[in-house]
Amino acid sequence: MTLEFLRPDAQGAVARSPMERQALAAGARMAVRDGWNVAVAYAGETPDAPVTWTDSSHLTKLEVHGRHDLTPGLASRTNGAWWCPITPDRTLVIGGARDAVEDHVDVTTAFAALTIAGPQAREVFARFCALDLRPQATPVHGFRPGSVARTPGFVLREDEDRFLMLFGWALGEYMWTVVADAAERLGGVPHA
Amino acid sequence: MSFLLTCPYCGTREVTDFAFGGEVNRRPRERPSLRELGAYNYFRRNVAGVQREWWYHRSGCRAWFIADRDTRTNDVLMTALPGELPGDAGGAA
Amino acid sequence: MSRLPAQPGQRIDRTQTVRFTFDGRTVDALEGDTIASALYAGGRRTFSRSFKYHRRRGLLCCAGQCPNCLVAVDGAPGVRACTEPVREGMAVEHLNASPSLDRDVMAVTDAVGGPFMPPGFYYKTFIRPRRLWPLYEKVLRRAAGLGRLRAEQADREWRTEYRRRHADVLVVGGGLAGLNAAVAAAELGADVVLADDGPEPGGRALVDGRHDHARALVERARQAGVEILSSASALGVFDGLAAVWQGQTLHQVRARRHVFATGVIEQPLVFAGNDLPGVMLSDGARRLVALYGVRPGARAVVATTSDRGLESALALRDAGVEVAAVADLRATPGTAAATLQRGGTEILAGWTVVEAEGRSEVRAAVLAPVGNGSARAASQRRFECDLIVVSGGVTPATSLLAQAGARTAYDPARGHFALAELPEGVLAAGDVAGAGGLEAIELSGQIAGGDAAHGLGLGDAASRTQVQALRERLRPASARRAPEAVAPAVAGYERGKCFACLCEDVTAKDIHLSVEEGYDSIELSKRYTTVTMGPCQGRMCQLPAVRLMARETGQDLQQVGTTTARPPWSAVPLGALAGRPFEPAKRSSIHPRHRDLGARVLWAGDWRRAYDYGDPQGEALAVHEAAGLIDVSTLGKLLVAGPEAGAFLDRLYPNRFSNLQPGRIRYGVLTSDAGRIMDDGTICRLDDETFYVTTTSSGAGAVEQWFSWWLADWRMDVRLTDVTQGLAAVNLAGPRAREIMRALTDLDCSSEAFAYLDGKRARVAGVPSLILRIGFVGEVGYEIHFPTAYGQDVWDAILEAGAPHGIRPFGLEPQRILRLQKQHILVGQDTDSESTPYGAAMPWIVKLDKDEDFIGKWALEHASEHPGETALVGFTLADGDVPTEGAAILDERGAPAGQVTSARHSRQLGRVIGMAWVPAALAADGASITISDDRRTLRAAVVTKPFYDPDGEVLRS
Repeated sequence: MTLEFLRPDAQGAVARSPMERQALAAGARMAVRDGWNVAVAYAGETPDAPVTWTDSSHLTKLEVHGRHDLTPGLASRTNGAWWCPITPDRTLVIGGARDAVEDHVDVTTAFAALTIAGPQAREVFARFCALDLRPQATPVHGFRPGSVARTPGFVLREDEDRFLMLFGWALGEYMWTVVADAAERLGGVPHA
Repeated sequence: MSFLLTCPYCGTREVTDFAFGGEVNRRPRERPSLRELGAYNYFRRNVAGVQREWWYHRSGCRAWFIADRDTRTNDVLMTALPGELPGDAGGAA
Repeated sequence: MSRLPAQPGQRIDRTQTVRFTFDGRTVDALEGDTIASALYAGGRRTFSRSFKYHRRRGLLCCAGQCPNCLVAVDGAPGVRACTEPVREGMAVEHLNASPSLDRDVMAVTDAVGGPFMPPGFYYKTFIRPRRLWPLYEKVLRRAAGLGRLRAEQADREWRTEYRRRHADVLVVGGGLAGLNAAVAAAELGADVVLADDGPEPGGRALVDGRHDHARALVERARQAGVEILSSASALGVFDGLAAVWQGQTLHQVRARRHVFATGVIEQPLVFAGNDLPGVMLSDGARRLVALYGVRPGARAVVATTSDRGLESALALRDAGVEVAAVADLRATPGTAAATLQRGGTEILAGWTVVEAEGRSEVRAAVLAPVGNGSARAASQRRFECDLIVVSGGVTPATSLLAQAGARTAYDPARGHFALAELPEGVLAAGDVAGAGGLEAIELSGQIAGGDAAHGLGLGDAASRTQVQALRERLRPASARRAPEAVAPAVAGYERGKCFACLCEDVTAKDIHLSVEEGYDSIELSKRYTTVTMGPCQGRMCQLPAVRLMARETGQDLQQVGTTTARPPWSAVPLGALAGRPFEPAKRSSIHPRHRDLGARVLWAGDWRRAYDYGDPQGEALAVHEAAGLIDVSTLGKLLVAGPEAGAFLDRLYPNRFSNLQPGRIRYGVLTSDAGRIMDDGTICRLDDETFYVTTTSSGAGAVEQWFSWWLADWRMDVRLTDVTQGLAAVNLAGPRAREIMRALTDLDCSSEAFAYLDGKRARVAGVPSLILRIGFVGEVGYEIHFPTAYGQDVWDAILEAGAPHGIRPFGLEPQRILRLQKQHILVGQDTDSESTPYGAAMPWIVKLDKDEDFIGKWALEHASEHPGETALVGFTLADGDVPTEGAAILDERGAPAGQVTSARHSRQLGRVIGMAWVPAALAADGASITISDDRRTLRAAVVTKPFYDPDGEVLRS
């Protein structure tokens, strides 16, 4: 396989999110799961916060080239993975099993990810993002490539009040700061 | 400047989502004379009116497309992929 | 405190006291008061000193529209006392007066300044001698201005929120028209945002007794899901994006339809002494009564051009103010005049006010009849009073509409500029749209809301019919407008200063002078006199200035026209426009380790990078003597794959890649069609159809755009994937690098098995990697690319494996020394937008014999035959003097003919080395060049081959 050096399946080394240190500073308790050091709990987490943010950078992301029959702007949930159409011949597959997807480029570590959830999730986005995420413009399963906090991103509406945001891996620390700053003002907390 | 552009794939976004690629400027198909080469490299029409230009959806799908924009008002009359221009067999540049 | 009995709809709560200080003295206010209403209730009449003449200024509009009550609150200047609610403990201070508001020494400029301070006086007066300008400037700045920012304010952390709001309909203005529009649109299913600049929506209804109706409408709007933004000023409309400033939040509203229900602005009258405290707009006086229960005066004289002033006169009389006289400019005063007359008020039809008398406050008003547009003084009457209530007609608040693309035209019947044409998707409702009368205002709001919703495809046939029915009712309702008179441009011109513009202290005489001096268009006059350029943004002065202009030039008002409406429509702190700082900083996954190691971190493009770890020369030496490790994750990385990948690269680069063997690496320089160097990097062929392209750190984005642009045009069977941020990369280099690699990987790293310019895939420290044997820094080196999630672990593993060999991490600065020793160029540092590969001493990279066309081919063919005037070479000079980058290279006549692009001291070589563009004739080994650097002249010798390991023996070993 030509591109195995893109695949995060090291032996011995631990895969780390670019937001690891921010999570630790916010009181995260970490544990290694499937080779990734992830937050499993936050000190003082309140269950009824109006909005939470979660580091989801470990999710597998695969870029698939070639025509597809997905509806533009809408992701499809198949076998635990989100199939997100970027262009008519480029698809981003998020989550799910790597080996179930033939002929892909592994871009897992090209994109960091945050899940922003709760009734105030859209208000958090409104503080740094010009995408129209109202239900009439971005329905559930809507997938929106576009600028987030002045940098390229993808926003996927997983559920009514639950959004997955992808952005460049190198911007993890920056994006955590932006999201935490916006969310905290609205009563938000980090969530494992 | 805060007008909207419609990416042929992603739909309508703020202009700040995009990179401007300049007016469409056809590359010579055959070896140009030095004067033609200079004109191609350095001269632009820069019309006050509707102009056909390149845009790149830098913050989104990262696709290049063509827009007809009125440079006086920033009204965008049309956007399309280079191969799908109305009334054009292709070859925008 | 002099308060009136409870008023219906009052905003104050008489049971709650709020204390604040004004200029250090405690003021008792009521909950719901504004700073101004509390001070006025306590007897204060002077609220500010004017910009230029330091004249006393009192409350005029009481609605946040004029500049008269600007104060500083807790050190922040520019706050309007008439709209700013009182808060317990707030410290309010006056602006622009010294030592105090009531005794201002600068007021002397008013007495002597008239003849000496015409428009443009300071351009003319202070131009010579030029060297004194800094002194003049300091004095002038202190004398004029609207307050000073204190140091503690400047240092304060200013935080503003930015909030994006998408909506179907944005309604600007929360009066009855705006409320009706919002309700109508929302009840048809539209997502509506309503922005109102007052603390409570309702507009005029709140002061003229219809507050219950307004509050019911607000409730209905909330029920229908309208988001109401109160105390929110619309600042401007930018290509359909409306900026609304509220508290500490800048709402950026992107709506598909805009309804402007911005109302009208009552206009002052221009007469002698029209700025004296005690001269108040009729709406302002009513606001004081209705909202705050404050009696504006004991004895009033009213001057009006319409029923508006008469209604205010009635309201004042009901509040216990004695209304001595009403000068109604109309020949036939409105019906309310009869009521006033019965109450003992003298009604003077066809008269106006020509002068306000008094030193620090109004003592009397002088009234006179009007003929031919100006007041005749012959039969004047003088009334003692402490309040002059003026109503000079209204001007529609069309500024935001104009920004959105609407046009206005002069309406001679009403004496103002009215809406004439609306662009698509922009609607107007209420007074601003010329709807006359209470019923018409509400109808026009309902129609605009309905039209907005219908325009978005909402509603049905029934709702459309309904709007049509409203439209039919609107016409007769609008026709029931009471007649109005048009105010004269100025009255009492010879009696004293008649102010057209209160913000900038521009008088009718100043406009006269500016026209005499040739500034005879309204736009020129604006720039010369600064009329309309103050904090009121033309609300109080645009129409008076246009009328004066017409009077001076003999044009009609349509010919004079208005100045261009520009944002911001409302005053706004600069911090609001700056917003939250979004500075996307990219950081390598190894970045936390650089911090741990105490690296000096600097910006490099949009990356934060380790510049050095405190000892750049020592770090560079370690690479020569043992091994060094640098984080090069910032390199751009592109996968180019597909059957035509090789052909694609052949068309993009001046050299060939289709013949590159899998597992081998080739250097590439990207040129534009003008043959200029855009970027460089290495390209490794991974298999027949896959190439791994690296770019410079700062060029990654541009190269990806460039590649995908040509791909969009050529439509070749090629797929691009940008993996820049997906892969970390480190360069392990130095004589011990090979041994260190042995400890980290099973790969055979012998020079036979893994030669210079080989690219191999293997696990390093257990992590799947692509290893490129390249030599940017001049020693045997392995550039290891691997999934970025392992950045820290791989970095740690390499340092650990290298520890016995003396490995040191090195930063960007030592790398720059090392690469300079090899004369490896940095694109953008050693080249500029004019550099070709020929000038940059890389003719070998251009393969003009390639059969196929490639980007830059024609220009490079030309360049190959026409060498440039300068060429890029290395140079060296005796130890000690490192020339500044950018220093000039002189030709034989001593004229600048090139420049130094890089220069460093090299501890390895024991001398100073650099690169420079020099005259082509000097681009030969041993040539002597002259460098002019600040006041030094340095002599250097040209070296065209690498300073270190010129034949690459070390690199290949």
